[in-house]
Amino acid sequence: MKTKTSQRFLQRFVLGRDSAKKRFIAGTISPLVLYMAFWTVFPLLWGFALAFFEFSPRRAGGFLGFGGDNPFIGFGHFMSMLNFSADSPLEVKQFHIAIRNTLLFAGLVVPLNLIITLPLAFMIESVHERVKGIYRTLFFLPVLAPSVGVAIMWGFIFHPQRGLLNAIIGKFAGRLVGIHWTGDPNLAVLGIPMALFAIIIAYLWQDFGYNMVIFIAALQGIPESIKDAARIDGVNWWQMLTRIIIPLISPTILLTAILTLISAFQVFDIIQVMTDGGPKDQTQVLLLNIYNYAFRYQKMGWAAAVSIVMFLLVLSISLFQSRVLRTEWEY
Amino acid sequence: MTKKLLILFMLMATLLTACGGGGEAAQPPEAEESSQSAESEEPAQAGDEESAVEKVTVRVWTHQNESFNAGYQALMDEYSSLHPEVEFLFETFDYDTYIQTLQTALPAGTEADVLVMFGSWVCSYVEGGSLAEVPASVISLEDARSQILGAPIGGYVCNDKLYGIPQEFNIEYGAVLFNTAIAEEVGATNYADGWDTWDEVIEDGQKMAVSQDGVMMRAGLNYTASDGLATMFHSVYLQYGGQYLEDGTYTVNTPEGVQTLELMERLKTEGLVDPLLYSDEENWVGDSYFAETSAMGLVGPWAIPEYSGDYEDVAAATIYALLPSVGETPDFAAASGWGMSVSANSEVQDVAWDFVKFATLNADNAAEFNLASGTLPALAENLSGSNADSLVAEFPYFEPFLDILEYGQFEGAFPDRDFVWYEVTYPEVLNFLQGNATIEETLQNIESAVQASFE
Repeated sequence: MKTKTSQRFLQRFVLGRDSAKKRFIAGTISPLVLYMAFWTVFPLLWGFALAFFEFSPRRAGGFLGFGGDNPFIGFGHFMSMLNFSADSPLEVKQFHIAIRNTLLFAGLVVPLNLIITLPLAFMIESVHERVKGIYRTLFFLPVLAPSVGVAIMWGFIFHPQRGLLNAIIGKFAGRLVGIHWTGDPNLAVLGIPMALFAIIIAYLWQDFGYNMVIFIAALQGIPESIKDAARIDGVNWWQMLTRIIIPLISPTILLTAILTLISAFQVFDIIQVMTDGGPKDQTQVLLLNIYNYAFRYQKMGWAAAVSIVMFLLVLSISLFQSRVLRTEWEY
Repeated sequence: MTKKLLILFMLMATLLTACGGGGEAAQPPEAEESSQSAESEEPAQAGDEESAVEKVTVRVWTHQNESFNAGYQALMDEYSSLHPEVEFLFETFDYDTYIQTLQTALPAGTEADVLVMFGSWVCSYVEGGSLAEVPASVISLEDARSQILGAPIGGYVCNDKLYGIPQEFNIEYGAVLFNTAIAEEVGATNYADGWDTWDEVIEDGQKMAVSQDGVMMRAGLNYTASDGLATMFHSVYLQYGGQYLEDGTYTVNTPEGVQTLELMERLKTEGLVDPLLYSDEENWVGDSYFAETSAMGLVGPWAIPEYSGDYEDVAAATIYALLPSVGETPDFAAASGWGMSVSANSEVQDVAWDFVKFATLNADNAAEFNLASGTLPALAENLSGSNADSLVAEFPYFEPFLDILEYGQFEGAFPDRDFVWYEVTYPEVLNFLQGNATIEETLQNIESAVQASFE
């Protein structure tokens, strides 16, 4: 006797035109789903499990390397992270520094990025149609450049002896200038290391074009009728900007802020090439820290624990951001 | 029917996309196999006896390095000609990929029979039970210690047992790259008769350094890259009579440590280098020396073949000048270099060890490898005699090193040598030289961080 479930199954997947469609879709995407499940979900779960073991790939273990010389330590790594004493292990000290630097980096990059890209989008939108595309392309080009190339280029600009920046300053100063922008640990502005600023500049230069085109699309999406109605009501440009345009594109601003934040937390290649975390760990960030301990020093258990902390950090900040910045605007 | 064909086509397309996408990044590490070249050189054999002999295949893994691989290939060819029943499957990997391949293959038991290893890695793989102990029939530990130089053999001895045999001496201290053209230009002459004291080095270095408006444009002696700096610290410590690692205890916060840092600081204050401008991140020693923004550079002899192609003029004017010692003898710390080990899972261990013995313990074969790869010898026998003469004839800059190799001391069985060198010693000593910490703070920080890594 057929049950309701089996009847529904037959109806959905075996009989009729709709079921044929569903069979086709299922058949097409199932290899990809299996592929993704194996190559994405499984490594995620394995990486998560690593965080609870004192794991090094050089040591012998049991199933998947766990156990044996890679013992289970439970929350041992996470407890170590709470050790703020002066005699804590070096990896714990560097972890604290990395968290601080990552938050500082993301906290500066997100607002600076928005401050640059939003007005830039406005300006590009206000020029003639003929040149709009040229400006958009020019400002978007750095996004297409490989990060390593960007890092090498900015490394040249910031070079202490042969760099472009010091050469320009030297021309004004009338003498040779040898400021080591990325390597002098004593150079700081408002307590923020100059090396970190140098990284931020390179990162923003590469990244701002991406948000700019998103904002341009958002601006183009505002119906002209709304702006016309506002003009009829006698608003000036400032009121148009602050009372009409920005509120209407605030969902886009929220989205770009979250995406920029997540991207800022994942910064790695620019820092590794330009400073490798120096000078004196002043540009040591979480992802670089994870990479070093996982692949240079083979402490994969510790690195996995740090990556979980990073995931939770990004998740909580993203949720907080979406809560605080959400609006109920619609048009 | 058409619909079924379409479904089949879509499935195939999806499978092919999933398996082939991403280019090099999506593919597993590719090993370059040169088994064909190894096999093709086997001499043709004929006769019933030949067909009765069972062929043995020995897999050999190593990292990709043209000159090293040429040396290994020559050894395998020679061995095959003497043992026609043995054929080699030679697989090479990009350096970073090789490390990861070893890390995954050894626990999984899928590794090759003969593994070319860097000595500093050996004991960590022995911990995992992956490497076989060298049989007494190949060489005993006692004989190995007498026949092979101290620094190279050090990394292959784990818990007083031997787990491989080195082929080369890896040296990062003892002599410096020296630009004779610059020296002649500025009248630096002390090097010509060999430096007896650091005062003479400083005098030459001061003449060769160039500053403009207070900015150093050419370092007199660039010793502030990570390898050179960390090795210099530990070597000078030894020369002052200290032993930084004994019975698993690391100690540098001692009078010898103070003297070491005082000497290193003196080189800076006398104007030989600006540690703010010269480090791993900027003006790295190899790049800087050959670009002539450093007149002398503390880096191993591997640098000359690496850069001579692009900087012929500088290479032609380059010699290695021996550094003076502050002690009775020019002791120095050295890593254990490249050598051969055999997998504990190998089913042809006897043949594998026989080949390793052939390649590493036969003085002529060992010297042939050093000639092909441009490396210094690990065998004490090859420090003098015709083999040494051939090496110096081919690589004249090796000559000063041959005089000091016997004083090399294995840098020590650290749980993670790279961590000690690059994460602790280099940043702490550089920070000190940059004027951001006292001698006492620096020594204390180094000692406590390294000691903590043992726990």
